[in-house]
Amino acid sequence: MTPRADPRWVERSTRADGLTIARQAPPPSVESFAATFIAPAGHAYDPDGKEGLAALTSLLLPSGAGRRDRRVLAREIDRLGGALAVRCEPETIELSIRGPTSALERLLALLADVVFEPRLGASDLERVRRQLFERQRRERTQPDSRAELELFRSIFPQGHPYRESGSGTRSSVERIGPTEVRRFHRDHFTSEGGYLVITAPPSLDRVERLAGQWRGRFARERAPASPSVPPARPARDRRRTIEMPGRSQVEIRYGGSTIARSDERFDAAELANEVLGGRPLLSRLFQRIRERGGLAYHSSSEFEAMRWGGHWLAQAGTGSDRTERVLVLLTAEVERIRNHSVPDRELDRVRESWIGSLPLALDTTTGAHALAVDVVYHGLEGDHMVHWPARLRAIPSRTVRDAAVDAMDTSRSAVVVAGPTQVG
Amino acid sequence: MAPTPHVGPARVRRFRLKNGLSVVLAPIRGSATASVWVWYRVGSKNEWPGVTGASHWVEHMLFQGSPKYAKGEIDQAIVEVGGALNAFTDYDFTAYFSVVPAPQIGVPLDIEADRMTRATIDPAEVERERTVVLSEREGNENWPEFRVDEELGALAFRQHPYRWEVLGYPGDIRALTPRELAAYYRRFYGPRNAVLVVAGGFDETEIRRRVEHDFGRLPATGEDPAVGAQEPEPVGERRATLTGPGTTPYLCVAYPAPAMTAAEAPAAILLDVLLGGETGLFRAGRAFGPPAEHPSARLYRALVDPGLAVEAVSSFRPRFYPGLFLLLAQAAEGVSLERLETAIQRETDRLARSGPTRAELVDARERIRRGAELAYEGARGTGFRLGYFAMFSDPGFEQRLLDSLLGAGSEAIRSAARSLFRPSRKLVVGYAPDGGP
Repeated sequence: MTPRADPRWVERSTRADGLTIARQAPPPSVESFAATFIAPAGHAYDPDGKEGLAALTSLLLPSGAGRRDRRVLAREIDRLGGALAVRCEPETIELSIRGPTSALERLLALLADVVFEPRLGASDLERVRRQLFERQRRERTQPDSRAELELFRSIFPQGHPYRESGSGTRSSVERIGPTEVRRFHRDHFTSEGGYLVITAPPSLDRVERLAGQWRGRFARERAPASPSVPPARPARDRRRTIEMPGRSQVEIRYGGSTIARSDERFDAAELANEVLGGRPLLSRLFQRIRERGGLAYHSSSEFEAMRWGGHWLAQAGTGSDRTERVLVLLTAEVERIRNHSVPDRELDRVRESWIGSLPLALDTTTGAHALAVDVVYHGLEGDHMVHWPARLRAIPSRTVRDAAVDAMDTSRSAVVVAGPTQVG
Repeated sequence: MAPTPHVGPARVRRFRLKNGLSVVLAPIRGSATASVWVWYRVGSKNEWPGVTGASHWVEHMLFQGSPKYAKGEIDQAIVEVGGALNAFTDYDFTAYFSVVPAPQIGVPLDIEADRMTRATIDPAEVERERTVVLSEREGNENWPEFRVDEELGALAFRQHPYRWEVLGYPGDIRALTPRELAAYYRRFYGPRNAVLVVAGGFDETEIRRRVEHDFGRLPATGEDPAVGAQEPEPVGERRATLTGPGTTPYLCVAYPAPAMTAAEAPAAILLDVLLGGETGLFRAGRAFGPPAEHPSARLYRALVDPGLAVEAVSSFRPRFYPGLFLLLAQAAEGVSLERLETAIQRETDRLARSGPTRAELVDARERIRRGAELAYEGARGTGFRLGYFAMFSDPGFEQRLLDSLLGAGSEAIRSAARSLFRPSRKLVVGYAPDGGP
């Protein structure tokens, strides 16, 4: 398969105004496309006292564009068979559209209108403010999101971009008006630091021409300054118990801060996470806690490395009578991955499983596109996916252990247990 | 009117083995992956009080070993070649699937043939898995939506086994014996009650030969008994209010709804599109999954736009037997369950009185048409849809359903709304948070 037809390749170019345009071939025999605009507009950029601003902006974006109000816009996208989605992450807001390839040009034009001419109206602001209040309540009242929320507050210091969920507080969200939202949109939907990633059949040249409608429409070219990132510190309160009466299951989160995506130890650390709890069914946490222990339905680990650092965590959901036993196993497995080299056979099994999963992700437009977005945002080479298996196979066991020591630093970790009474 | 599109993969070959196994092969040119699905016509509809949750528990046990694969080896065999596998249990069926790099297609075929009639169901493993199944249920209980759904089933169905959740009652999960579970498996699992679907990059002749060899020697077992219990037509409204931890009031209004293959089903599906904005049966991706929000849909306009709710959707996923049509709303702060219910009632009344507008109907059809065009994508999605629709009817059913949806007129929809949303059939379950954390 030529690079132009191979979804593992991502071509890109950066225009004079700073916007990076990237193109990936869709999987063979597929008649859909996907496009994502990434703006440096995540909740890490929320001003002090206006926490929730990025989240509110992202919720407002699909609420009409140009002359179209929310209903007309939604109807137009629906009729073309498209779907518009928006995500507010710590570092970025991602606006994505997908649909049939036959409607590529029209849906891409609609995405541009949403990016450049969102209505950001006052009545829509009140509606999304209500939705954000509901999200805040969910984060507080659901044991899984509450445990995660409290863990991040324990491991990241005040002012750290990854400390909060981005939903803000009731008072901070109440303080945000249409002017702040418009200003945030103007300052953060910039060409520099912005990325347009398209998974579709046309060539990069053609994609660039299609993106001509994105030229000259940015209110600002210059990307916003990165937020300050205070260093992570040893967690003060190593174990917290959040009593949540009336719930049936306890959620446990054990984790800490970690290295950035650009760190040279990233691949090895990610592999360590796959062994620990990332690889479905094969991982140590799944095998030890569910398959052999019969102690929980879900048990896994997470390793999220972003531009300014990130987090690792080991997690499980279990009954309150089994909390301590599960916690002992979680901590023991984290220590094991840090202190002992992974046996070659186990490492090979996990590694080959992970490598083999690449074609599965590339089987659908949505799966392939998610990988391309990752490649482009993190500045990886266009042939990153092509060479990724060989790079992974070259990582020896001791490097995995060394990376785990650094990336899963237990001296800066905390434990949160959230659920029904009598926990702990 | 635009012609009805063809729905389905470009090439499908269907045949039946002598032992009764239905086989569907869908080669996809250029696909680097292959998916293998086995669908059994057994779900919670086949259970009875005392063994509720057995279908789901058996699903778990089928990963715990068979003659050729000891405990853990099924997962490993698939995952080691880079594949993914899982399973799910529904009211009407249980499905097992693997997606693997295309050259490895023999691995999941071998596993499925081995566990179709000879899963080990080891008593010690049943005991260990009991806690896992209970834990899965407890995790669901943390969500008010699950509690509402469970209460709704109990309210709606007095005779029919759709009364209980697929996960089963906690008491039954604690009491079910390994022997009962093994008997349940032996009764319902087997080629006669299964559909094997293979989709993706493979050579059709070679796979057919392999399927005939691996599965053709299995005994012709597997019962698919009709569920005798029929739910009587309700003669009055039924309602319940739950309390517990949560955020804002959550409301579910429901009505008994036609079975998938009933003549009335297409109009009810269109009501779902008009009220909620989509049907999961014809949209890009899989048919399962929570409904998405559509600001142009009636419920959204009536509840979210004026600030009564933060979310409002409808959901009608037809079942093998008559099921339920759901209208769901999460209240905005300070809005009572009563106000939500009144607003929902107004919308169902309006549809029953006037039917859809011409523009609405054109939009709904277009959405379904576009959804059908993208419904089959990738080896996994293709395998899912071919097996899913095979659980309900013959191979032409999906196309006929699409034709009916695109051909239904305004009057048929109005008439369906009048019949479906009758006050005497109304079910209401509210969830009122108690103010706890």
